[in-house]
Amino acid sequence: MKRKISYLLLVFLLLSACSQASTSERDWTKPSWDEITSEAEGTEVRLYMWGGDEGINQYIDEWVTPRMKENHGLTLERVPMDTPEILQKLQTEKQAGKQEGTIDLIWINGENFKNAKENGLLMGSFTHTLPNFTDYYDTNSPAFQTDFGTAVDGMEAPWGKVQFVFHYDSDKIEDPPASFEELHAWIHNNPGKFTYPRAEDFTGNAFLRHILYAQAGEPEDIYGQPLEEERIAETAQHTWTYLNDITGDLWRSGEHYPNSLTELDRLYSQGEVWMTMGYNESRAESLIEEGVFPESTRSFVMEPGSIGNTHFLSIPFNSQNRPGALTAINEMLSPEAQLAKFKPKYWGENTPISFEKLSEEMRKQFKTVERGKSVLPPEKLEKSFLPESEAAYVELMREQWFNEVVQK
Amino acid sequence: MKLFRNKILLLPAFVFLALPFYGFMTAIVQSLGNEEPLSHYWDLLDSDRFLASIAFSIRTAGIATILSIAIGLLLIRSFYKILVQLSPRLRVWIPMLFPHFVWGYMVILLLGESGIFSQIAVVSGWMESQADFPIWTRDRYGIGIIITYVWKEVPLVILLLLPVYSSIRPEYYALVDTLGGNGWNRFTTVELPHLLPVLVESFLIIFSFSLTAYEVPALIGTTFPEMISVLGYEWFYGSSWDDRPLAFASMVSISIFLLILTIIGYTFLNRTRLKAMRGGK
Amino acid sequence: MRSRKISFSIIACVFFVFPMILLLLQSVSSPWRFQSEDGFTWQWTSYQKLLQDPMLWEATLTSIVIGYAVLVINFIIGLFTGKALVSSPYKGKAWVEAILLSPILLPVLAIAMGLHLLMIRIGLADTLIGVILLHLVPTVPYSIKIFYNGYNQTGPAMMEQSNILGAGFWTQIFTVELPLLRPAIRSLTFLTIVISLSQYAITAIIGGGRILTLPLVFFPYMENANTSLMAAFSIWFAVIPVTMYIVIELLILLLPYSRLPWRNHR
Repeated sequence: MKRKISYLLLVFLLLSACSQASTSERDWTKPSWDEITSEAEGTEVRLYMWGGDEGINQYIDEWVTPRMKENHGLTLERVPMDTPEILQKLQTEKQAGKQEGTIDLIWINGENFKNAKENGLLMGSFTHTLPNFTDYYDTNSPAFQTDFGTAVDGMEAPWGKVQFVFHYDSDKIEDPPASFEELHAWIHNNPGKFTYPRAEDFTGNAFLRHILYAQAGEPEDIYGQPLEEERIAETAQHTWTYLNDITGDLWRSGEHYPNSLTELDRLYSQGEVWMTMGYNESRAESLIEEGVFPESTRSFVMEPGSIGNTHFLSIPFNSQNRPGALTAINEMLSPEAQLAKFKPKYWGENTPISFEKLSEEMRKQFKTVERGKSVLPPEKLEKSFLPESEAAYVELMREQWFNEVVQK
Repeated sequence: MKLFRNKILLLPAFVFLALPFYGFMTAIVQSLGNEEPLSHYWDLLDSDRFLASIAFSIRTAGIATILSIAIGLLLIRSFYKILVQLSPRLRVWIPMLFPHFVWGYMVILLLGESGIFSQIAVVSGWMESQADFPIWTRDRYGIGIIITYVWKEVPLVILLLLPVYSSIRPEYYALVDTLGGNGWNRFTTVELPHLLPVLVESFLIIFSFSLTAYEVPALIGTTFPEMISVLGYEWFYGSSWDDRPLAFASMVSISIFLLILTIIGYTFLNRTRLKAMRGGK
Repeated sequence: MRSRKISFSIIACVFFVFPMILLLLQSVSSPWRFQSEDGFTWQWTSYQKLLQDPMLWEATLTSIVIGYAVLVINFIIGLFTGKALVSSPYKGKAWVEAILLSPILLPVLAIAMGLHLLMIRIGLADTLIGVILLHLVPTVPYSIKIFYNGYNQTGPAMMEQSNILGAGFWTQIFTVELPLLRPAIRSLTFLTIVISLSQYAITAIIGGGRILTLPLVFFPYMENANTSLMAAFSIWFAVIPVTMYIVIELLILLLPYSRLPWRNHR
């Protein structure tokens, strides 16, 4: 009898071991990298990401996806969805106790990362397992250690690096403003030719934070310190005054703010406004190429500087294909993938990779990429670079903008 | 036996009803939250943003609905004989082919400040610059939303009313004519009694849809004032999750408002129906 | 009558036909900038771009499957309920009608979010079946309405007659009711398919991105500055229901007493 029971136990253990391997329960940061990639072969990985930029979508569909298939037998499926919606979905699944999720990979940073981390929506620390990350990236770089002031703790891997720039049509504007005061004057002199996306939008919010930086004594007063509303009350007041001051001369007298960056881009492409803006210093290239933006589009940054940040890839708590997700992230961090992303053909955004860790050949290839006429020289960008503030500032801007500017 | 079979026939419908009702009940539970009951509802009443949004939504949806029904009714009365033919009817139904958000996109393409009409107005020398073109989309009066909804719902009204008109026997008209009635009498004595239930229902359907649908106002509405669906969505999907119960509470409030409206509508219908039956006997 | 016909044609063309023509023209031209004399410049790339997108085809197929499934379920529920309502003159029928209509009077977003938790628990979230079920919410009330009206116009006499003549339940439905209900079937097909094709929010919530329908692909593009591509996509949105409708129209021809072209001599 006892024997029977022990047999049964053995069978049970075997079964549970098998089933464990196939579910998300197993800790996939422990096994060797070879084991992970062989486990990933022939599986499907679902990447959920914002889908509002054609160049980015094409980069994934035309470059990354075929490469995954070829190198790892992985099927990468891109699902377009706004990041807050993705987190909402994960949150609901967590509430319902659903351990078998549908999302394997998300594109995330800043406030969304903070929310996801605080609510336990992410798998956990994994970046140390990625060979490409440890080989080619400066793992100790502060840009990868914190994300809008939130400690990364290895829960997301750096995928790209962007800097905020403004775009203008050089046929219409000869000298773009050099500072936010000059912008203020420019808006008054050119009524109806400028606007910015609303504060809920990623880009619109960044524009507001630029004003906040500019109104502070030093930008470091904002990004260097955690948010204390009392301390920055005066700066905030100056920011709202600045914004209320320009409102009357904005496009449509500030009665309507573009809901998204794409809407602002459309206004710009139709010549209704003369400037647009956005994270990613080179994003105008593919839009010019497609004939959406005029050929004469150029970019500029203003004093006191322009905010830049890193964006990341991460794995949700209930991903069913963790080996696949890890393999995919590793591939997307590879020098080859980063180089293709860096070229203006699809996306053209900057890479967080460390050039000194690359092979001579690879480094040369990066150096020879022509980023295009609309992209500022790297020295100029570097000089004006400002780090992100804490995610709490994003929330502050979003919550108060509506009361302080729109409802006034 | 026959009655029993009728009950069985109703079964699928009531099984189906379990879906929306369960969903709605869950929404109510979520809106109550864990703290003191109704606290989220008090928060709503304190929020200027919510109150402004409610007023704007009811006004916009109301105008869109009344216009849709009036125009639909007018079209069908004027062109009933033409509309019974297939090809004219199909022509009128073209907007129904497109989802609401696609039609909204079309409205922007056509009536936006840099849309086709404004371009034509400038090129033809009628207006000096596109800035002179009136703001009809993403405007603070909800004109764009109203235009989109009216354009989309008029065909629906025609679709809903057409069967009623085909059910009216021509003898009735003849009767009114022999008794010396005019066109107005024809409408009030023959058509209206037939139409009333459908009109009330059409009103409720279109009103509640335009009040709570998200896609069109999100596309063609402005920053302020905003439709309640956009605000609810913002509270729901926005990244500050403390607002989630507010989203549920605002949606539940709207639902209760609509339910009351429905009850009033049906009580009214029931009464006129009873009256008609008594009068008939 | 003649002048009426003309005025109808004008109204129909200006308000209903013209917008579609416009979308068509824009879809085969580069974005218009009339002031800079960029008028109509022929191009085909917007369609090429659209039709090369594998996602579009996947989404189209999914949308069609969901649309037909929703249609069939709607048809069954609508037919039965319409029949039951019309042949039973009980008290408070108006209230039953109101309750049956109520799902489209509630915010569908609230219902979807409420149902999401349930769907996850019973394993229907992120599945085709879950999405189909959710699409029933904004469609079934219309179907019931349409069939009820249809039966009302037929009048109970027609059904009683076939009953007296000894027709069984199904015979009666197929030989008497369905042929008479043809207009109702057409309206229902049309409405159900288009409504199902318009659902962005609830498909995103219940389908969880795994069930990729056309609105899910369209919505992120919506503000795309490339108006030609968007116009092409908009046209695609009309092509799908028309194609689906034609299939149903062909099926309707199979009903008894249809005027089949090859049978058109009485």
